[in-house]
Amino acid sequence: MKILVAFKILPDDQDIRVAADGSLDFSKAKPIVSSYDANAMEEAAQLAKACGAEVVGITVGSSAIDDSKVKKNALSRGLDRLVMVADDTCDNLDSHATAAVLTQIAEKEAGWDLILCGDGSADNYAQQVDVQLAAALGAPSVNGVTSIKLQDGCIVCERALESSIETVEVSLPAVVSVTPSIAEARVPGMKDILAAGKKPVEALVLETDLSASVEVVSVKAPDQASRACEVLEAGEDRAIEKVAAAIRAAL
Amino acid sequence: MTKAMVIAEHVDAARELCAGARSLADEVVLVAFCAAPDNCADRVAAVEVPSGCALDDAYATLIPFLEEEGPEVVLVEPTKRMKSVAGRLAAYMGTAVITDVAALEDGVARGMYYGGVGQRDQRPTTSCAMYTIQPGVFAECVPSGENQVVVLDWVAPAAALKVLSTTPIEKKGVDLTKADVVVAVGRGFGSAEELQVAEDLAASLGGGVGCTRPLAEGADLMPAETYIGVSGLVVAPKVYVAAGLSGQMQHMVGCAKSGLVVAVNKDKNAPVFKQCDYGLIGDVATVLPALTAALS
Ligand SMILES: Cc1cc2nc3c(=O)[nH]c(=O)nc-3n(C[C@H](O)[C@H](O)[C@H](O)COP(=O)(O)OP(=O)(O)OC[C@H]3O[C@@H](n4cnc5c(N)ncnc54)[C@H](O)[C@@H]3O)c2cc1C
Ligand SMILES: Nc1ncnc2c1ncn2[C@@H]1O[C@H](COP(=O)(O)O)[C@@H](O)[C@H]1O
Repeated sequence: MKILVAFKILPDDQDIRVAADGSLDFSKAKPIVSSYDANAMEEAAQLAKACGAEVVGITVGSSAIDDSKVKKNALSRGLDRLVMVADDTCDNLDSHATAAVLTQIAEKEAGWDLILCGDGSADNYAQQVDVQLAAALGAPSVNGVTSIKLQDGCIVCERALESSIETVEVSLPAVVSVTPSIAEARVPGMKDILAAGKKPVEALVLETDLSASVEVVSVKAPDQASRACEVLEAGEDRAIEKVAAAIRAAL
Repeated sequence: MTKAMVIAEHVDAARELCAGARSLADEVVLVAFCAAPDNCADRVAAVEVPSGCALDDAYATLIPFLEEEGPEVVLVEPTKRMKSVAGRLAAYMGTAVITDVAALEDGVARGMYYGGVGQRDQRPTTSCAMYTIQPGVFAECVPSGENQVVVLDWVAPAAALKVLSTTPIEKKGVDLTKADVVVAVGRGFGSAEELQVAEDLAASLGGGVGCTRPLAEGADLMPAETYIGVSGLVVAPKVYVAAGLSGQMQHMVGCAKSGLVVAVNKDKNAPVFKQCDYGLIGDVATVLPALTAALS
């Protein structure tokens, strides 16, 4: 069995700064694995362990994602190897174009049984690349998955919908997007990271025609509600009473 | 003559999106996976999902209909299954869905970037524009139409999903979207017992307890339907008490419209203190009971 796990590498949002003109400054933000994709990697690793599958990480982005630290970090999360397209024309692609490039990779990795995706990318959180990829590959897909059971030629997934829990049988090959509750992302240890350095990484040449379906008009920091920000030591004299009075006044 | 299609699975969303569609286009076609609201569209295709089939697979039924209708705009309710259907239709049309739109003007859609760190305006460049729309965007618009019925026969896709069972989620406790007081708990709480002080404070004010996403998914201390933020609930109570949570944007966008925001955190540098009206630096285990006592 072969499991592909699609993950995005993007700038760490903890280090995005708001510049004086309200634009977002990414200059200090290092590339990381999109946080909820790490949960998908963990689930892939656990499924693979249970059935002796191979796990291949697949990712698409600008040349900035071809960064030795982030590649090692990804490979230290239970992947056997990594296949990527790192090309500056692949920076900030929309979901249709991203899926087209991932399709190029999946077709090269023919024979896969399952593609796992995360709950959504930290930047776009569109929850679209998984289903676009399934459509391009002609595979069934299911989202919001909280548990996966491997069976003969199919999987049984539990998914959390807005007001119900659904159990669905999905024939393989399939694309499944999982919620972070499916598996806790590991904190890679020294041994994982050292082993990761020896795992194969393959960079493919982009062979997909890309055309954007969406144009970004502007990106800026949102206007924030201005708040009083009166911060007190809780142990300070009358601090609790002051806050209690404010709560009473607001009700 | 412009045409808009609406795809929805809940009647409230169907009504609001049809109203919005009417403000954008001359002709409105509704695809409803629920009872259609009265007088809301020119044509209504009510799609029955056969038992054992998944709503997600409705794309196979809808692709020929979409092609036949050829709308310039498609507005979709932002649920998991509708997002899946929308993604399939977009793939077929060779476009991308612009998701979770909070405002739509002249085709330019406003949404969040990095969970609220940024605000992004986007515009589709393809002939069919597809959006999933947040509730409230078209609250001011009025729907109209004769609701002429269109019958669509279910078409199963090649590798259809099989729904084995469906269990409704029992929503216990207070409806946080309607409560006057919400006490939100974060990773500063490590166990179910520790949550009691938050329950007590909420109960004393007639409010409810919500949480951050890691407390519901991962720590599993709270039900999944109680987390607040970009991917969870959006609440606007009169009083929001953010207790033992750091104040990441992905969470704070879910409570930004609250009246008074009170933060309790033991780290004086926690980002939440820059987004509150009052902050108390201290341990939730002692500060919350003290607040409850002072309020009683
Ligand atoms: C795509 C995406 C979507 C997301 N959507 C959401 C969402 O909808 N909602 C959401 O909440 N998050 C969401 N997140 C996660 C979000 O980014 C943060 O990780 C999360 O909100 C942090 O939760 P927290 O504040 O509980 O935990 P932490 O950030 O770990 O903060 C815990 C805080 O508790 C304080 N603390 C610890 N012990 C105590 C104590 N005894 N007393 C007082 N204070 C204490 C600490 O000082 C710290 O500030 C999303 C993330 C991504 C990538
Ligand atoms: N550039 C990318 N490379 C690889 N996988 C991706 C990429 N973008 C999105 N994905 C996958 O698709 C999921 C949904 O992404 P999105 O539609 O952007 O929210 C993510 O959680 C990833 O698993």
